[in-house]
Amino acid sequence: MSADTAIRPRRTSLRPAWEEKPTLIGQFGKGTILTLVVAAVLIPLWTVLVTSLSSEKTINEAGGYVFIPREFNPSAYVVIFSGGQVTDAILVSTFVTVVGTALSLVVTVLAAYGLSRPGTLWHRSILFYFLLTFLIYPGMIPSYLVVTGLGLKDNLLALILPTAISAFNLVVLRAFFMSIPGELYDSARIDGAGELRILWRIVLPLSKAVTAVVGLFYAVGYWNAFFNAILYIDRNDLQPVQRVLQQFILAGQSPTSSGTAVAIPGLGSTMPPSLAIKMAVVVVTIVPALIIYPFIQRHFTKGVIIGAVKG
Amino acid sequence: MANTLPGASTNRRNFLGLVGLGAASLAGGGMLSGCSKEPGTSGSATNAEQAAGLVPTFKDSTLVQPDVKGVRPMADGYLKYPTSLADAVSEKAITSGKPVTASTPWWGPAPPTANKLVEAVSADMGGTIQFSIQDGNTYGDKLNTMLGARDVPELTCIPGWEVDKLARFSEGVHAIFEDLTPHLAGDKVSAYPLLAGLDSVAWQESVWGGKLMGVPFPVDAPFPSVLFYRKDVADERGIAAPTTLAELHEFGKKFTNADKGEWAFGDIWLEVQQICGAGGSENGWLKTADGKVVHRMELPEYKQAVEFMAKLYAEKLVHPDIASSKGGDVTTLFKGGKVFMYATGGGSWKETWRPAVQTNPTFNMQAVKVFGAEQGKAPVRWKARSAIIWTFIKKGLGQERTQELLRVLNYTAAPFGTKEWELQNYGAEGTHFKRDANGTPVTNDLWVKEFANQYIFLGGRPPVVVGGPDIPTYANDFVTWGNDATQYLEKNPWEGIKVETPSSQAALAKPTEDKITDVLRGRTPVSEFDKIVSDWRAAGGDAARDFYAKVLADNGR
Repeated sequence: MSADTAIRPRRTSLRPAWEEKPTLIGQFGKGTILTLVVAAVLIPLWTVLVTSLSSEKTINEAGGYVFIPREFNPSAYVVIFSGGQVTDAILVSTFVTVVGTALSLVVTVLAAYGLSRPGTLWHRSILFYFLLTFLIYPGMIPSYLVVTGLGLKDNLLALILPTAISAFNLVVLRAFFMSIPGELYDSARIDGAGELRILWRIVLPLSKAVTAVVGLFYAVGYWNAFFNAILYIDRNDLQPVQRVLQQFILAGQSPTSSGTAVAIPGLGSTMPPSLAIKMAVVVVTIVPALIIYPFIQRHFTKGVIIGAVKG
Repeated sequence: MANTLPGASTNRRNFLGLVGLGAASLAGGGMLSGCSKEPGTSGSATNAEQAAGLVPTFKDSTLVQPDVKGVRPMADGYLKYPTSLADAVSEKAITSGKPVTASTPWWGPAPPTANKLVEAVSADMGGTIQFSIQDGNTYGDKLNTMLGARDVPELTCIPGWEVDKLARFSEGVHAIFEDLTPHLAGDKVSAYPLLAGLDSVAWQESVWGGKLMGVPFPVDAPFPSVLFYRKDVADERGIAAPTTLAELHEFGKKFTNADKGEWAFGDIWLEVQQICGAGGSENGWLKTADGKVVHRMELPEYKQAVEFMAKLYAEKLVHPDIASSKGGDVTTLFKGGKVFMYATGGGSWKETWRPAVQTNPTFNMQAVKVFGAEQGKAPVRWKARSAIIWTFIKKGLGQERTQELLRVLNYTAAPFGTKEWELQNYGAEGTHFKRDANGTPVTNDLWVKEFANQYIFLGGRPPVVVGGPDIPTYANDFVTWGNDATQYLEKNPWEGIKVETPSSQAALAKPTEDKITDVLRGRTPVSEFDKIVSDWRAAGGDAARDFYAKVLADNGR
């Protein structure tokens, strides 16, 4: 190999590699990989959807999940919506998510703002107190005693108040608020703005992205939460959708976690929901997330990047 | 102890039930897994003689003669629904007018709070029971919290397998729940005649620390597993049910055709152990003829079962979904003709058969007549405990309220053939069911929505096997099979003693099971089996043996 060829650039173009027209093999490779990734996401969703629209006979013949649609049988959806339980659960979850997220955002923004301003009374101690919850969890029984002691059993507030503030979200918001230049606060004060006006007019408009992300964290948390419902909600018309989903999915399974299949006569549902009904509940449960996510995704990406690179 | 077993199949649809102390403990082969007892729990055992003295005097409460008499402990079978129903409880159970609070488990979508079935029973009972129906799969978490906070309803229904997982339950039960000895022991139970009709062994298992603490839910059949096969397909193909281990293997080869998506077997590990004659009804422990306490894993019969099962997996005669670590939906595979034989609890027989005939009228699910490894060699049938669920009464409610609650439990213990049984099982005529030409209740959609075995779980009931017009031979099939299998039931020397295994030994269970599962499924060579057993013995198996032997010695057995 000559010295001349050794120093010759491999490419003649001045454009960076990712702006070059890809080779045919490269295009094919990328296409294949992306198709596989998309298939890995879509096939389970497709199977769930098709199974939910299949009859018991088709499911039995398929030996379980159905991949190739043979019929359009919406009876599973008729069953779950005629019962009222799924409808109630969606309303409950929507209420908990909307009210919970709003409440959480209000208290988290207020707390983060207060703790981000130097000179706030006892702010270090209060911040330390918040951070302590990262390390020390109060435990299930004390939490249960507090919630029931407050008379919140069978009350939807029991699904909101115990998780109203997340220390993690508080820290994220506080860090962002601290990164806003002090001059902005000073100029607002010179113009006669008080703390709440500064927060509302200056800080929050600058923090839309990070607030949206924190809001999304809260909303996803409230929508997905079900353990608090196990502990605090006995009334069946107040169950959130995830708990109902879990009941449908696990109906017919062994009460032990082992998967041991030893059935006891007389125990259990005489009419366990069919696989179609289970899958229909899965579809109903994920639809709201599928609808909402694309609208928030823009903020989500932006907010995460902001959080990641701010020094 | 709730147990897992190597190779146990997951049963997603037929549900139900499972397990229990009895069933699970047996099934688990002494592998006491999944227990969350606190470290240091040293194990305990009640005194059998003491417990026996507390048992309520049995008085048969059955009012209708069965069509197929069960050989005890197999329940009786009824082929037809009785034409006239008896009124078992003439007086109102609730007289104070104060609603009763109760917590019961359920494995399915919870019924609505406003519930006509509950209203109908309440009207007959004289007062309301406010049910908190808990998801059976997460009930343990809830119980842990409720009992820890001592926040329990007046009636708390706790499955046996949850009892086993609750830390220090044998101590806590006395702090939280009422001692029922003064109300029910011996002849005192005569004030509650329907409770007197519950099985005596189940009552004996309801004693903690020398006190009668709960009302038991007796199991229908004492067998933790049954071997089922598709008789309709076998007849069509001219293949007989197996009667030896070799024939079982042949059956597997004849039915497996991977190209057509057909495999002979789901999980049959529980059955193979019993076919080979590996006993051990008490968490896997047994006493040999020469008086030694051994675990079933130490028996040559168990090793034979391991080798046989490993052969079935190696020859790919088990459905691949079942062979995968998570297991598959064997019931759906069975109904769809992808699997032709599997082992599960007897409770799933009806639950699987009944919906299957709706889409396939020729579907015929039958239990394989019990057989031994070779002609002339008897099998062993493990014996499940009798009580699988208990209902406890909250402590400190006062004598009058406690008696009122016992009257409620007496009502819910009404036997088959009574108006009370029908009301609790089928709801109100015209609202939840109508009768067919033979008088058999045919339930409607409202019943499906509102029924959650609420009352049945509360008060036990003398178990019965009842089919229906869609599966007319079921009751006869089950009781006949059970009567035959009963002759092989193993005698459990620990019967009547409530044994709580030390937690350190219980913790050995899961890892050992996992190792055996690896052997069965070919991930570990069968030659490693002896080492797995010797490791288990060294790590605590021998200590467990001493513990179980001491329990027997303390009871003079």
